[in-house]
Amino acid sequence: MSFRDKLLSGDFIVTAEISPPKGTDKKPLLNEAARLKGVADAINITDNQRAIMRMSPSAACSILQDNGYETIMHITCRDRNRLSLQSELLGACGMGIRNILVMTGDHPSKGDHEGAKPVYDLDSVQLLELVRKLNSGYDFSGNRLEGRTDFTAGAVSNTRLDYVSLIKLKKKIKSGASFFQTQAIFEADSLSDFIDKIDEAGPKRPKVIVGIMPLRSEKNALFLNKNIAGIKVPDKIIKRMREANDPASEGIEIAADLVRELKSLCDGVHIMPVKDHENTKKILEMAGIR
Amino acid sequence: MIISRQKEFNDILKNLAENDIFIIGCGKCASKLHVGGEPEVLEMEKKLLTSKKNIVGWNVISSACNIKSWEEILSQNPAIGKAQALLVMSCGGGVSVISGCAEIQTYPALDTESLGGTCCEETVKEQCGLCGDCVTWMYGGICPVSRCAKSLLNGPCGGAIEGKCEVYDRPCGWDLIYEKLKKLKKLEYLEVFVAPKDHTRNGRRTI
Ligand code: SF4
Ligand code: SF4
Repeated sequence: MSFRDKLLSGDFIVTAEISPPKGTDKKPLLNEAARLKGVADAINITDNQRAIMRMSPSAACSILQDNGYETIMHITCRDRNRLSLQSELLGACGMGIRNILVMTGDHPSKGDHEGAKPVYDLDSVQLLELVRKLNSGYDFSGNRLEGRTDFTAGAVSNTRLDYVSLIKLKKKIKSGASFFQTQAIFEADSLSDFIDKIDEAGPKRPKVIVGIMPLRSEKNALFLNKNIAGIKVPDKIIKRMREANDPASEGIEIAADLVRELKSLCDGVHIMPVKDHENTKKILEMAGIR
Repeated sequence: MIISRQKEFNDILKNLAENDIFIIGCGKCASKLHVGGEPEVLEMEKKLLTSKKNIVGWNVISSACNIKSWEEILSQNPAIGKAQALLVMSCGGGVSVISGCAEIQTYPALDTESLGGTCCEETVKEQCGLCGDCVTWMYGGICPVSRCAKSLLNGPCGGAIEGKCEVYDRPCGWDLIYEKLKKLKKLEYLEVFVAPKDHTRNGRRTI
C-alpha cells in the first residue's frame, strides 16, 4: 500500500528518518534502509538537516525508490529560491517521488557551511501553497506545466504550541498539509492539547505522525532539553535514564512504551534515532506494531 | 541611520597598497556611532602613521553620502590633490558616492551592517531589510524581513528556545511581533496568508 493510501486507510503509520550520505557512497544509505524493510511504511530523507551539507534528498530518495522503498522527501526553504524549489519538485515527481515534507529549515549558521547565503525566498506556508499550484498544473508565475506534479505534502510542527505557532499550523493546514510529522515527544500526556487543535480542522483534519527519539543516556536527554527547540524530556524520564543500569536499553523501552500508548492517540509514529536504526525494528516489535 | 562598524585595522592595512593617503570621515551616522567621526579619524591617522603611511590630510565632511560635487570637495580639501588614495570612514553608501566621483583609488574603512536608528539614546540595529515593499503595518511595526533571521512572513520557524532566536543572540522577532500586535489589539493580522515578496521591488528597478 502506498503511503498516500495508508494515510487514507486509517491504519497506524510508521515512518523513519535517514540522512543522505555525506559523499557519493550509496552503501550507508542502503544499509540503513535495509534495517527498515517491512518496518517503516515510508522512509523520510532529510534535506541538509541541521544545515549540514549532504547528498541531495531527491537523489537519495530516487536511489531508495529504485531499490523498492517508498520515501518522503524533505524540502526546506533554506537553500533554494522559488525557481530552484520548483525545478527540484518537478524533478522529484519525474523520478517517482510522491511524498514531501515541507519545512523552513535550520539556518546555515547552525551547520558546516556557516557562511552560506540563507535563501528563505519562500517560507513553509508559501511553499505548501506553491506545491498546491504545481499539483494543479501551474507554476508560481501561473504558466501551465507539461504534466502536473502529484504530491502528498506534509509539514512539521512542535506539539506544544504558543499562540503564533498555532496560527501558523492552521495556515499550513489551509495551504494543503495533509499530514504533520512532529518534533519528538517523550510522554503521551503532552499530546492531547495538540490533537485537540488538529481536530478543530474538521474534514480537512491532517494525520498526525508523532516523532519518537529513543534516548541513549541521561546526558543525551539533558542535551536535547537545552539545545533542541520544541523538545521537553520530562524529569521522570530523565530520572529513569539516570538510574538505569543499561541506559540505551532503557531508552528503547521508554520509546516502545510510548509508541504503545500512542497507538490509540494519533495516526502514526516517526522514528528519528540520534544515530542509526539498529533498534527501530525492536522498538516497534516491543510496542506490538510489527 | 546606517549601522556600520570599523574593519579590523590589519584588514584595512593589508589592502592599502598606496602610501600617500587622505582620510575622509562622515559627520552623520558614522560620527553618531563613533566609527567615522573626528576622534576615530584621528585614531586612524595615528595608526596609519605608525604603519609608515603618509597621511596627506583628513576631513570629516558633513555627510559622505550627500555631496554637492567632487570639485567642491577638492576645493575645500586641496590636500587630496597630493593623495594616491582615499580612505573613507563612512557606510557603503558614502564610500560609493565618494568613490563614484573621485578619480583616485578609494578604500572603505567600515563594514556596513544594516539599516537602523536611534531611540532614547540607544542604537537600534536591523530595523529594515530594504525589501522595497513595506508591510510593517501588518506586523505591529516590527519588520519581519530584518527582525526575523529567516525573514519569515507567515509565522515563526519554531526554532526559538525560551524566546531566543535560533540564529542570533537576540529575541525571536516573531515573539516581538506577537507581543506588539497583542498590545495593539490587532492579533487578527497574524491570520492573513502573506504571499512571497516580489524581489523586483527592492530598488534596483529604478536605476
Ligand atoms: S517591510 Fe521591507 S521596507 Fe518595511 S521595514 Fe521591513 S524590509 Fe524595510
Ligand atoms: S527563531 Fe524567531 S527570529 Fe529567529 S529565525 Fe526563527 S522565527 Fe525568525
